[in-house]
Amino acid sequence: MIKDSQFAIPISYGSTEVIDTGKWGFQKPHPQFLTAPCQEACPAGNSIPQFLYLAQKGEYGKALLTILKENPFPGICGRVCFHPCEASCNRGEYDESVSINALERYIFDTTIDQEPNLNPVQNGNGKRVAVVGAGPAGLSCAYFLRLLGHKVTVFEAYREAGGIMAYGIPEYRLPKDIVKKEIARIMALGIDIKTSSKVGRDITFDALNEYDAAFLSMGAGISSSLGIEGETFEKVMHGLDFLMRVNSGSSIPEGKDVIVIGGGNTAMDVARSSLRNGCRVTIAYRRGRPEMPAIKDEIDDAEEEGVQFEFLIQPVRINMLPDERLAVTFRRMKLGEPDASGRSRAIPVEGTDFIMETDYLFTAAGENVDLVSLPKDLTKNGLIYVDTFLRTKNAKMFAGGDVIDQPRTIVTAIGAGKKAAISIDLYLKGVSPENMFSGIRVGDKGSLSFEAYTSGGKFEMFRAAQKVVTLDKLNTLYFEHSERVKKRKLNRETALQNFQEVNLGLLAEEAIASASRCFTCGTCNYCYNCYFFCPEGVILLDPIKGTKYVDYDHCKGCGTCAKSCPRSVVVMKEL
Amino acid sequence: MCKVLPEKCGCDEGAVMKEFMTGNHAIAHAVKLCRTPLIAAYPITPQTPIYEKLSEWEASGVLKGIMMRTESEHSAMASCIAASLTGVRTFTATSSQGLALMHEMLHFASGCRTPVVMANVNRLLAGPWGFWADQTDSLSQRDTGWIQIYAENGQEALDSVIQAYKIAEEVYLPAMVVIEAFFVSHFMETIDLPDQGTVDRFLPPLDLPHRFDMDKPGFLVPVVTQELYREYKHRAFLSMDSVKEIAVKVDREYREEFGRGYGIIEPFMFDDAEVVLVTAGSITSTARVAIKSLREDGYKVGLLKIRLFRPFPYEAVRGALLGKKKAGVIDRNISIGSGGIFCQELKSALYNSDTRPLIYGYIAGLDGTDVSPETLESIVVDALNKDIPDKVPVWLRGN
Amino acid sequence: MDIEKRIEDMMRPGHLACPGCGLAIAMRLVLRALGEKTIAIIIPSCSSMIASTYPNSALKVPTFHGTFETAAPTAAGISYALKIKGKNEISVVAFAGDGGTFDIGLQSLSGTADRNEHFIYVCLDNEAYMNTGIQASSATPQYAWTITTPSGRHGRKKKLMEIIAAHRVPYAATASVGYPQDLMDKVQKARSIEGTKFIHILTPCAIGWRMEESLSVKAAMLAVETRLFPLYEVFDGKKYAVTYDPQGLPVKEYLQIQGRYRHLSVEQIQEIQKEVDEEWDTLLKRVTDLPPPLLTHS
Repeated sequence: MIKDSQFAIPISYGSTEVIDTGKWGFQKPHPQFLTAPCQEACPAGNSIPQFLYLAQKGEYGKALLTILKENPFPGICGRVCFHPCEASCNRGEYDESVSINALERYIFDTTIDQEPNLNPVQNGNGKRVAVVGAGPAGLSCAYFLRLLGHKVTVFEAYREAGGIMAYGIPEYRLPKDIVKKEIARIMALGIDIKTSSKVGRDITFDALNEYDAAFLSMGAGISSSLGIEGETFEKVMHGLDFLMRVNSGSSIPEGKDVIVIGGGNTAMDVARSSLRNGCRVTIAYRRGRPEMPAIKDEIDDAEEEGVQFEFLIQPVRINMLPDERLAVTFRRMKLGEPDASGRSRAIPVEGTDFIMETDYLFTAAGENVDLVSLPKDLTKNGLIYVDTFLRTKNAKMFAGGDVIDQPRTIVTAIGAGKKAAISIDLYLKGVSPENMFSGIRVGDKGSLSFEAYTSGGKFEMFRAAQKVVTLDKLNTLYFEHSERVKKRKLNRETALQNFQEVNLGLLAEEAIASASRCFTCGTCNYCYNCYFFCPEGVILLDPIKGTKYVDYDHCKGCGTCAKSCPRSVVVMKEL
Repeated sequence: MCKVLPEKCGCDEGAVMKEFMTGNHAIAHAVKLCRTPLIAAYPITPQTPIYEKLSEWEASGVLKGIMMRTESEHSAMASCIAASLTGVRTFTATSSQGLALMHEMLHFASGCRTPVVMANVNRLLAGPWGFWADQTDSLSQRDTGWIQIYAENGQEALDSVIQAYKIAEEVYLPAMVVIEAFFVSHFMETIDLPDQGTVDRFLPPLDLPHRFDMDKPGFLVPVVTQELYREYKHRAFLSMDSVKEIAVKVDREYREEFGRGYGIIEPFMFDDAEVVLVTAGSITSTARVAIKSLREDGYKVGLLKIRLFRPFPYEAVRGALLGKKKAGVIDRNISIGSGGIFCQELKSALYNSDTRPLIYGYIAGLDGTDVSPETLESIVVDALNKDIPDKVPVWLRGN
Repeated sequence: MDIEKRIEDMMRPGHLACPGCGLAIAMRLVLRALGEKTIAIIIPSCSSMIASTYPNSALKVPTFHGTFETAAPTAAGISYALKIKGKNEISVVAFAGDGGTFDIGLQSLSGTADRNEHFIYVCLDNEAYMNTGIQASSATPQYAWTITTPSGRHGRKKKLMEIIAAHRVPYAATASVGYPQDLMDKVQKARSIEGTKFIHILTPCAIGWRMEESLSVKAAMLAVETRLFPLYEVFDGKKYAVTYDPQGLPVKEYLQIQGRYRHLSVEQIQEIQKEVDEEWDTLLKRVTDLPPPLLTHS
């Protein structure tokens, strides 16, 4: 029968929603989260796509909180990290990698006056944990342990906390007020710190056994010696000692000729600090430029500032000249087969000795751990020996940072501190760490997610096998090519006048532009492509609640959403 | 307003307007009186004066509304249908080729139940080419579900347009008023123009129903099931059927208001007629003269004018021709492969009737030539002389 | 379940489009951009199947199903009637396929464009008569396979935008379902302009173009990025503005995802590339500002 149509024409008032077009196809879209390569490459497992997504929207406060979930030192890392994230950034293969490092710094700088609420667990099981060394590893461990509800006591040998951050890296790279602010944020959680308390001098090692657990992170603070004649002259100084003097305001040579031995960050720091005191500086490294272990930015900056480089030479002897200058005999080297670190060996070439004169010689050719106060059974090859869960032979004791066999970078130390905190927490609960660790890893390069840990390993992000999104899985048609923002720096003359910070950081609009370049691989950034491209209109997104909804009754399973997701977040599966 | 000529009545209500004008212009005046706000048209001889007059009034603001000067008749009808569905009164006019071009849209207008009113000026359909009166164009649209009224002269055309709006808007079916090329369209006569106020009373400037309801959005005229299609067509059929009564009623009301009425058929000098001429359109006027003359000569002859062609007034025609012996149908049209169309319709109307006359078919004036009283007289004589009608219609030459 | 979010959408799910239909995406986006104060005209085409059969409708706005070749005058008639009734806030949009625009509807579209009647005309171009089963139209590109041109179409795609521009309508634009924001912006811009507005949307048909059903959007993007279907606007038939700067990928990337071009020879692909390059150059020449008028002697 014709329904009410007083004008006798058919008019459809019904909705097509009564037709179950969902039965047309078996596959339906599901959201999936994949780990981005930057997250995996970060030793601290920083949630990079997540905080960049927030930065894209200008929500810097939330971005800061996101970083702080995994890394307590954004201001520091944003300045001195060697940013392996950028090297593995998918965008790097597409055009230029995202300025993750500069953005981490910007997020810190722009929220510097905010006091983020870190929500430590209030009613943790309240065990007592000792942390030895208030460097990046120790402070990081203390931070995470405190967030887990434990009572932490930090023992720091020097007068101030910070380790290499306070005493090693010069002001022009890392202003000390930044360090103080970051440490204050950690301390404000309620951590007990005893400065000028060196284990082995002020307290015994055994005293540590009175705690429920302990984390050993005293760092590698002893400079390696060159093992050559003349090393004990006064004008031959260890690089670390030199930097300690720089950072504590003591005097350093001015206007002199300086030679620095070494190719790592310490050597660069020493060289550039000397430059700022009017010295003429030459770095002598036994291998070639590509083999230098320092961060590339540092090498470039050093060269720009006027440091001279001499490659493939090694000192063999130091003699004092009558006018108290040093005559350093160098031997030329050649590159041979790779050694254990994968870099070509340096092989001396007989009969190539020559002399360079200088006022001062600074050695920055490696650092060692002070083993004196450590029990012998814990050490091996000059380092504390640990397993993959950072446990030492002593069940209560854990170790991380430069004291163990791991790359010597701040962010690796931070990652170790976090890993140890989780390992300690599991130990204190009497739970074996194997299952948990595999459930909370970020990708396959060893970093862990603290957020995943605190949600009982059920954090949705890690439910899928922690597959990493590679560039071929992204739909790059949706991305326009763009260049990175160029770094703004003080010009050479201004920079060398004093120790003010050389890198000027991003401007506000540069920050938004840089953050917007992030593809947010594997993480939904609510770009709404799936919503717009669905021919049926069955996908709904709510970025505020963070929900994604698909009307399965009407989804025909065409898969357009999966193909249109630029960042590989939608996968078609049978229900 | 005084309907009697003031010189006879002597009242001071104001005179009925009388003007000397063509049938085309009379139609244009009717459209203006009905306050039709949307007109879409395309020029074709001999309809052009209607289009031109309305354009002139629209441009000067006399006719308040919108004139769509479309690029074809097909588009004109599409626009009228759409506007009618949106709730405004519409009008278009065309002829021959244009009407044929509109054919798809005529079905659509009826199927969409839109009360569009159209004036069609009967002109022969090509090929070969010509411009003169021939009813085949409108008659070959008889299956499209349009009401069809054939007017004898300009005055009747004007009155029929006004009546057509009233009928169409009651049943929601489109209506066409048909006049012949040149004989009516370009012929000047004295026309009584009704006054605007009376027309407004008779045909209020109606706001047609809002088929597009923004508060209750619906999808108009979608694809329907087979059963539903049958239902809608049946409903249209019943609506069209009711027009027979509605047209009579409207015509009666019109007579009361304006003093003129025409009926849906008109028997003339019928009572003792042995042969009845059946005509439509301007030939009727000539037939009135011929019949009078024949009567004077002693022939018992009458005239049946068919005014309402769709719906075909079966009952009225049967009733009128009850007991009549012979009927001669004058067709100014031809359906190739069959015969004259009025003749076909009449035969089909009378087939089941108890007493039905013999029907003689004549094709006259097909070429747009004048059908003179002499021709009509010869037809009457021919019908009287033949005992049985020929199997095919008799084709008459023009004068 | 955020049902409230659906209200922004003027189209309902459950319609009868093939899975992955590019045309359905376009309709959704256009209606979304227009909002609820809209009357839509549908004619025989895939869009009429999408709008669905009695008693259900996929559109939330009042809709009318007109005849094949009369999308434009139907919309014009409704638009005038609304004006007569004083309802100026309702916009009228006519949806037509490429057949109903390039072929059978071209005359009536030309008429309404010439009269500059007030409505938006949206051509949903899937480059053939897809609703009736993949027959070629004058919108089918050269060499493309269809069932009625099994060895590839001889003719080239009709340059409809030039025809429309020649009518000097106030606003004409191309759009692609691969760029939803651009499409919606253009529709909203059209809504605000008085007169006849024409939007030519490339809506890939996975079935007719012989592709996997999830590739409609990719094809729509590649068509733009290869410059084969540039996104631009024409104002009053003379001012041209390009709204998206394409990457200029080789046209082969677009052709090779479609089965209807599988039989192309290397020469044919080169020919297509050459034509794309020439058309792009021509378009760019139009986009630069017109030279200042010559001074005439008074």
